[in-house]
Amino acid sequence: MTRKILLVEDDAAAAGYVAKGLHEAGFAVETCGDGRDGLFLASEGIFDLVIADRMLPGLDGLAMLGALRAADIRTPVLVLSALGTVDDRVKGLHAGADDYLTKPFSFAELLARVEALLRRGDGATAAAQVTRLTVGDLEIDLLARSVARQGRAIPIGGREFNLLEFLARHAGQVVTRTMMLEKIWNYHFDPGSNVVDVHIGRLRRKLEEGFDAPILHTVRGAGYRLSLDA
Amino acid sequence: MRISITARLALLAVLLSLVTSLALAGLIWQQTHDDAIEALRRDTAQQTDAFAAVYRSGGVAALAQAIADAQADDDSLVAALVDRNGARRLGVGPDRLAFVPSAEAFRIATLGTAGSWAGQEAGIAIRPLGRDWLVSGRLLDDWERAQRTIERALLLAVLLSLVLGIGAGLVLTRYVTRRLDRIAGAVDAVAAGDLARRVGSEGGGGDAFDRLAQRIDGMLDRIDRLMAELRVVTDSIAHDLRSPIARLRARAEAAATASQPQQREIALAGLIAETDLVMRMLAVLLEISRSEAVTRDALVPLDPAALIEEIADLYAPVVEEAGLRFVTSAPDGPVAPLAMHRELLSQALANLIDNALRHAAAGSEIALSLALAPGEVRFSVADRGPGIPAADRAQALSRFGRLDSARSLPGAGLGLALVESVARLHGGSLELADNAPGLVATIVIPL
Repeated sequence: MTRKILLVEDDAAAAGYVAKGLHEAGFAVETCGDGRDGLFLASEGIFDLVIADRMLPGLDGLAMLGALRAADIRTPVLVLSALGTVDDRVKGLHAGADDYLTKPFSFAELLARVEALLRRGDGATAAAQVTRLTVGDLEIDLLARSVARQGRAIPIGGREFNLLEFLARHAGQVVTRTMMLEKIWNYHFDPGSNVVDVHIGRLRRKLEEGFDAPILHTVRGAGYRLSLDA
Repeated sequence: MRISITARLALLAVLLSLVTSLALAGLIWQQTHDDAIEALRRDTAQQTDAFAAVYRSGGVAALAQAIADAQADDDSLVAALVDRNGARRLGVGPDRLAFVPSAEAFRIATLGTAGSWAGQEAGIAIRPLGRDWLVSGRLLDDWERAQRTIERALLLAVLLSLVLGIGAGLVLTRYVTRRLDRIAGAVDAVAAGDLARRVGSEGGGGDAFDRLAQRIDGMLDRIDRLMAELRVVTDSIAHDLRSPIARLRARAEAAATASQPQQREIALAGLIAETDLVMRMLAVLLEISRSEAVTRDALVPLDPAALIEEIADLYAPVVEEAGLRFVTSAPDGPVAPLAMHRELLSQALANLIDNALRHAAAGSEIALSLALAPGEVRFSVADRGPGIPAADRAQALSRFGRLDSARSLPGAGLGLALVESVARLHGGSLELADNAPGLVATIVIPL
């Protein structure tokens, strides 16, 4: 089934670039250039995801979002914004945004977040009851916080376990460094050096040393993916 | 508006001095005044009426008789018939009036200029009789003269105070205007582009104007510093962005002309990496200006020890991976919550650790510590690298202030500027000190 995404963005060049990329990634994309039309289209409830710029003519992104939520439309919304301070972000999330991405962003970052949001939409009801995650031959027990691969226990604790859990919840999808920094460490700045890579490197050594098949893959220019297939 | 405010000041001075002297004169007059002059006025009116009646009924001869009768028992009497030039035709009075007669109900004046009449004041009424004038009244006695003198003195005092008030007003206005003009002149000059101009203090008096001038100078200094910084930033942005953009272009060209798919792949990956570097430089720049725009009410009380722990959790593996030891220390007991911006302060510490990572000597140690000093909380990051010579520390703090010795290392040179601006947001400062050897950078936040 093709997923439908509504892109509300008044910058035609940016909209074209994002729409093209999403289209190539296999999504059906509809674009519109102002908040009022965006609200009208989104109200139909036929979209799986709305990507909205924060500053729009007609009706700004957050007002549009507020109106949607007030009308009890639960479509996930990703807000794009040139306003990137923590306080702006908090305001956006309070208004009902499911994710917030600061411009300029890489397309890989956007795509990873879009997929994560769509996945979350699918699994929203089931997620609460999950106590075990399985990725190929890797098993994660969320209650006991234990990890085993091919039946062999792997000692992973603390932050590292959270990192693995996050990757496993998005198994098969690309998870970007920024997403991990935001979700695992709750930092919304770019620490600059390769901090996430180092953490991933450690995790990867534990998951792959002594096993034949790689399971934690680097996706160049984007992030990481947890999956048995290459 | 400035004219009007100085005019108002002058007016105020005049008014104040007038009110003061009027109040004083009024008080003195109140204390010395009695009804003597008032009685004189009444007597004069009655006497004049009587003589006029005599003239109407008996003519000039009867009048002369009546005056002669009256003079017999009153040596202070004045009663004369004068022609329109003031020359006396009959009666008691000076041969010629000191002034040209005209109708007057009551007046106190010196009547004559010669003989005993000079210097003698009299209260008189002047009334036309036929073609002539009847001047009738009485010479002032001692008490009345004294009172006249007092009244004149009071009037003079009031006039004098008016003059003095105007003078004082002018002086005051000129003084204030001159002091204000100095300040306004300096501000105008700065507005017109002469950023180096300052008001300066006058004679080191330290009065209110000087204090205002000092404040304005302080403000101008800060503006000047910001402008200078901004100029450096603009220049440096242009300069520092040039090389990554040039590399970007080279990679793009390489990708465009690559014949092998693998070469193109490599060139494109490099292109993305260079773009990321440029984007990061811009992001940090934005971050700095944002941290300067954050208001203090965005600060939330948080546990500083937890902040240290979290950042250590993120960086410990990174430091160890780089072949260095990572040590953290915090006070033993619980630490009181401190109003802070978790995100920005974490980023500042991350920058400091990042710097330490770049400069630390191989196999050495990076120490992240939280310490409580009287009245302040100190977050420090210490390394065993080459350190920064004391003379270069100020430059290290400025935006894009990369020391020449660091030019060969990667980095945007924005790190310490961001840290300092975050420290300032918390009302504190960034201290750079010698770790003997190495650098210890401390964010000091007052409690």
